[in-house]
Amino acid sequence: MTMDEDRDGFAAEYVLGTLDAEERAQADALVLVDQDFAAKVREWQRRLGELNVLVAPLEPPAPVWDRIRAGLGDAGQSGVLHLPEVAAPATAQNAPSAEIIQMRQRMERWRGLNIITGMIAACLIGIFLVRGYRPDLLPPDLRPTQQVVERIVERPVEVVKEVVREVPSARPAQFVAVFQKDEQSPAFVMSVDIDKRMVIVRQVAAERLPDKSYQLWIATQPGATPRSLGLVEPNDFTVKAALNDYDPAVINNATFGISLEPLGGSPTGQPTGPVIHAKLLQITPPPNP
Amino acid sequence: MIVSMLTPAELVWLMAAVAKGDQAAFERLYAATRAKLYGVVLRILRRSDLADEVIQETYLKIWHNAGSFDPKLATPITWMVAIARNRALDVVRKKGETSIEDEPGAMDTAGEEPNPLARREMTEELKRLLACLGRLDEDRRRMVLLAYYSGWSRDQLAVKFDAPANTIKTWLRRSLMEIRECLGS
Repeated sequence: MTMDEDRDGFAAEYVLGTLDAEERAQADALVLVDQDFAAKVREWQRRLGELNVLVAPLEPPAPVWDRIRAGLGDAGQSGVLHLPEVAAPATAQNAPSAEIIQMRQRMERWRGLNIITGMIAACLIGIFLVRGYRPDLLPPDLRPTQQVVERIVERPVEVVKEVVREVPSARPAQFVAVFQKDEQSPAFVMSVDIDKRMVIVRQVAAERLPDKSYQLWIATQPGATPRSLGLVEPNDFTVKAALNDYDPAVINNATFGISLEPLGGSPTGQPTGPVIHAKLLQITPPPNP
Repeated sequence: MIVSMLTPAELVWLMAAVAKGDQAAFERLYAATRAKLYGVVLRILRRSDLADEVIQETYLKIWHNAGSFDPKLATPITWMVAIARNRALDVVRKKGETSIEDEPGAMDTAGEEPNPLARREMTEELKRLLACLGRLDEDRRRMVLLAYYSGWSRDQLAVKFDAPANTIKTWLRRSLMEIRECLGS
């Protein structure tokens, strides 16, 4: 099976729903950073989405709408605007008030958007290490606001750069890091279960070299000596309870690296081959306020 | 609120209004789509408390993300159902894979073709898809439908069809590739 079919199969199963939680987290991350994968997912949603026609409609309980409306923000004045169809041509009298209402709604909407954008930004800033901005890795609608996806390929660990980032408050969340091989393809996608201190590395487009090993490293702060988290196994997935020694806050801010080493791992205890870096990205941010 | 059938074009119009923060348009969008989305997520979650939560989260996401909806890439209902299914599937997968034992009746009640009466509403695309599904072996077809409609995991399918989960995965992917080929797009 070619890599492309494999990716399409992964996208298809994502839409079908048969991926497990871990794989779903990886697919979510890929949708964010890989436009080609996102397009495959949309194609499958289009193909299989036809089946939705056959699902019998079922009315949700009425209080559900009340809770949704309450969640829209502090607006609570939706009764004011009951004219969704066509805004009547504004007369001299009602024009000002209609405008104010509209403005207020727009502002509330923007406030909501800013909070979200802020959260996304907090997640994204400094995810990948510096080597030129890569805004094209982001979905188009994220590009103009935050050009924060940065990456480095094949740089020694010492160039870890300090980046300021906020970490959203602790809630059950999935964290992933994407190790880019080149502009097009992630080499590895790592996800972290901070509660269980587990890392799962999925080998996506990294070349499989029979006489080499990939080794995973953590640098707890900029400039810190990297410590080995063990070898990436030559399978699709590597699952390790490798983070028991680290505090969640430390993990959150750590930089991860994957280096190419001689078979069996680095002989020196430090990365000796080319390294790809990544930082964690939270992909299930807390619900919108 | 009366549930009105809206055309895709009307839904696109509503989405555009929602993207501008129009709460009344959002209410109409909800009225027009809530029953479909609720039907979809309840089949997957099989618990109304979870379905209520997922529907809330889904519509809040729709409200906040309406601006990123692109009518060139998807119809509004496909886009909205995808958000709802995604959320529902996240919930069932995180709940763990014990649900078969939890709910012994679940296997029998989960039919594959939920609503044959809706056949008259069939689009050409749906007819083509069903024709392609019809070309799969019966078991393979049932797997795909149980997964899509009822959110069954590979492990659950493995129990039902008495095969290792890895084999199920292979079968599912092969079936999906056959469907893609059969559809030709």
